[in-house]
Amino acid sequence: MLLCVEVDFPDLWEEMLDALDAVSPLIDDVRPGLAFLEMHGIAGDARAWMAQTRTVLDPFGQTLRLGVGANKIVARAAAYVADGSICEPGSECELLVLLPLTLLDIEAEVVERLMLLGIERLGDLAALPHGPFVRRFGAAAAGWHELARGIDRRPFVPRSRAVAIEASIFGEGRAVDEAQVFFALRMLLTRVCADLARCGKCAGALHLALELEDAQTCTFDVPLAMPTAQERTMFDMMRAKLEGATFESAIVGLRVQARQLEEGGEAQALFGADDFDPQRVAVTIARLEAMLGERITRATTRKAHLLEERFTYEQFELPRKAMFDRTEAPHELVPQLRLLEVREIAVELRAGEPSRVDQQVVMQCVGPWRIAERAHAPSPVARDEYDVVLEDGTFARIYRQNTHWYLRGIYE
Amino acid sequence: MALKAELSGRPSLSPQPVEGAVPTCIPVLDQMLAGGFPPGSVATLEGATGRWSVAAGLVAAMTRRGLVAILDDGALYPPGLAEAGACLERVLIVPVRKALEVARAADILLRSRICRLILMPAIALRDSIWTRLATLAHRNGVLLIVMAARAGAALSAAAELRLHCALERIIMRGTHGLWGSFAGFELCINLRKHKHLLPGCQTHMRAVMSS
Repeated sequence: MLLCVEVDFPDLWEEMLDALDAVSPLIDDVRPGLAFLEMHGIAGDARAWMAQTRTVLDPFGQTLRLGVGANKIVARAAAYVADGSICEPGSECELLVLLPLTLLDIEAEVVERLMLLGIERLGDLAALPHGPFVRRFGAAAAGWHELARGIDRRPFVPRSRAVAIEASIFGEGRAVDEAQVFFALRMLLTRVCADLARCGKCAGALHLALELEDAQTCTFDVPLAMPTAQERTMFDMMRAKLEGATFESAIVGLRVQARQLEEGGEAQALFGADDFDPQRVAVTIARLEAMLGERITRATTRKAHLLEERFTYEQFELPRKAMFDRTEAPHELVPQLRLLEVREIAVELRAGEPSRVDQQVVMQCVGPWRIAERAHAPSPVARDEYDVVLEDGTFARIYRQNTHWYLRGIYE
Repeated sequence: MALKAELSGRPSLSPQPVEGAVPTCIPVLDQMLAGGFPPGSVATLEGATGRWSVAAGLVAAMTRRGLVAILDDGALYPPGLAEAGACLERVLIVPVRKALEVARAADILLRSRICRLILMPAIALRDSIWTRLATLAHRNGVLLIVMAARAGAALSAAAELRLHCALERIIMRGTHGLWGSFAGFELCINLRKHKHLLPGCQTHMRAVMSS
């Protein structure tokens, strides 16, 4: 029997899972907010298990939904129907028949397609003929059909035991020179990597705590691009993180902790000579960020009327797609706008159109294009934009806002 | 003297392809450059108009094979790159404000070899720094392109390739005023310096906005 634990706001989820160890040693952590406990062989009945679960999770102050069933879909359905429900063997189909398709955890588009076909509940899905349904929706549909009938073949994946791998050095004197810190750091990382190798694990992140002579503690979280147990990579990342840091007093203690432990082994591509090394990319980005004090980003575009709102920057992450793209690059050039720092310009008009911009004759002009944004906001934007070619060959985007003219950018 | 005069007056032969050249995927430009930009080098794109259009084409081609880094002085307009066909998720945008930051960021990126192409704005640097960047680019096989209205003496000396872009003609769509729009422009690209080719040859290209 499985016990389903569902929480709406999974703050402190890891701590809740640790507390659930007192109920069952086998916990499948599906996602933050949803876990299944294997209760086979645990003393007591379903009501006693749920009472114990409520007791251990009570200090977290969360609203719980608990349910017991023979497998994951049934246990979750029981928790969905009402908190504390128990689905007895043999009554699975009866329980599932009126429940929504969202319990299957399938893509919203698929649910939408099914609903367009009039399939709104698990009972509707279970009533469909298996063969034609699978032929229409693909191999994955076989699993959905079984789930709708209360048959769940998804494996129970127990979460791994938390293994603490860390190394520290205290009371060995004080370090005032960065070379001393790096020497101590390398020594600690050697120990951490040896422990990781012994456990057959890789670390997905590192945590460094530096204790200073004035009793302050500085901490650094160092995420790694991919889980690793390589000392060199870890050291490079740590050093890159520390490059921009300054401390007010001498360092008297260091502690390095390996976090986000995963099973060992690194994926290697057979023909990956042209692929970049994710760890090298991560080290480079960390070094650049430490040097510049700013994030290294990548851009994403979006639809907007204002030029400056047509893109945003976000933290750079390695693309998941293969690096080699077989699609052909376009064979034509596209004019590029350069967004200059907005500055006011002097514009003379003739017949309502710009004739001189900053003392230069306008050779050609197109526009205006009216842009009115945020009409109901405290600071509405209303602009008339023009593209102009000046006598010196400059090809610029200018705009008028109220009675003032501004240079927005130059086509290069 | 007569032989020298005869040789200099002879029309240039079709250039031999440069080994490992980085193609731009713009056929006329690749033809002029004997296959593309020389690998592991410093190159300059100069001129008032058109240099970023050429650079965007190169970024579009390079993001199909790896990462590209752009040292951004704040004027970058990413939707333009996307229109040119660049895959933005493979473009590292490094914000730089001061000359020293530009030089250090370029140095870190060249040494790391994570990007095949780095675009940087032109800044005033000492000869020795340009030489160092050129050496790093050569050693690590990275193409470093410097975007300059006009390259200074030190940069000109360090660059293996110099291209100058000049605006020839604006292409209009419709008439003027409210009833028209700019469709793009025509460029004349001059080869000012190349390690393996004779300077002076030029090509004409169009940069067209997507409607």
